[in-house]
Amino acid sequence: MSALRALLLSVSAIAALYAMRSSTPGYGDITAPIAVRGAVGERVESRDFAFGAANVHLARQVRVESFGRIKEYSTSGIWLIIEGAAVAKTETMTLTSAEWLAGNGLRYELSQRFSTVPGYLPTERLEPGLPRPVLLAFELPEAAVDKGTLLVARSLVMPLAEELWITLGDKQPTDIKPSVTIARGSSGTPWTLAAR
Amino acid sequence: MPVVQRSKIRQRLLIMLVTGIGGMAAAAVSFATAVYDAANPVPAVTAAKGEAIDTGRWRVTINDATMASVPPTGTKPFEPKRFLMVDIELDNRSVTTSNAFMNLIAIKDERVIASPKPVYYLARDKWIASAINPNMPEKLIAVWEWPADRPEPEKVSLSIGKQIYKPRDNLYGAPNWFDDGEAAVVELAVTQDTGSSEQ
Repeated sequence: MSALRALLLSVSAIAALYAMRSSTPGYGDITAPIAVRGAVGERVESRDFAFGAANVHLARQVRVESFGRIKEYSTSGIWLIIEGAAVAKTETMTLTSAEWLAGNGLRYELSQRFSTVPGYLPTERLEPGLPRPVLLAFELPEAAVDKGTLLVARSLVMPLAEELWITLGDKQPTDIKPSVTIARGSSGTPWTLAAR
Repeated sequence: MPVVQRSKIRQRLLIMLVTGIGGMAAAAVSFATAVYDAANPVPAVTAAKGEAIDTGRWRVTINDATMASVPPTGTKPFEPKRFLMVDIELDNRSVTTSNAFMNLIAIKDERVIASPKPVYYLARDKWIASAINPNMPEKLIAVWEWPADRPEPEKVSLSIGKQIYKPRDNLYGAPNWFDDGEAAVVELAVTQDTGSSEQ
């Protein structure tokens, strides 16, 4: 009888330990950035910076005009281009992390293929109180645009920092343009964007 | 019971003896297998050209290898150079965009390695590749600059590395991908490009 009791006790202890082990959040979950939710077309605020996405374009090809030469960037999916503005609040900073979280949980990082696009988010230095227009571009499979979320953070390696989660909402473009040309703007805006 | 019975002492002695001998035997067996494994390494798995290799994080297919004097950009270098170009298909099976494939493929050679790291080009754009997105298979060209003082190879062996996912690593308990040796070795015949595509 006492053997049976010992056996039952140890089995229940093992079960309790297993339940605790599998329900404990991992280091990645504990230190994940804190989401601040918003939508395209509105200013989304975090403690250190604010970001607002204004226009969203979809294109099959991106042409970048720089110093008289045109470089074409094709993709096996589609290009998602977002025009917006960002401002720092407390200190000079650069927003180095932008990701597209697709509906199925896959994460697409900001495309690193351009080298000379004016106003590209990770190359823009933001001064406190001076909003700057910024440009973002992602390469995605076509199905990843639906139910996707734009994640903008100061850095990927800052635990417990704030991250903006921006949904497209009703600003999701309906048509995919064959080609979008980005050129350096003459005055005012740092770039001009022409769809074809 | 003022004194422990003699039979009980004998029983305890026996238990100590059995556990002691058992533990020592287990340690000896584990040490011997470690020594044996180090002395007899498992031969690398060979994969054929054009066969998809599952490396955990990536699905890699190695296609043709060519020697050429023009890199994929089409711009002929100022000084004549030779390039070993290998066509690769890559599929990112992980959940995020990654450029970890750049450390995955190496030339397997007993002598010095031709060039420590190849430069990767996107096949469709003929331009330097960046990170590869999940769920978007891409065709790439890996380009090694071949040293001028070495004879051009007839065939080349490529070693494809493997990465495994740990939901909790040993240091922080953070989820990450870790290198885990070699997934396969691919042997390829190298064809000569006569340079018809020069500009």
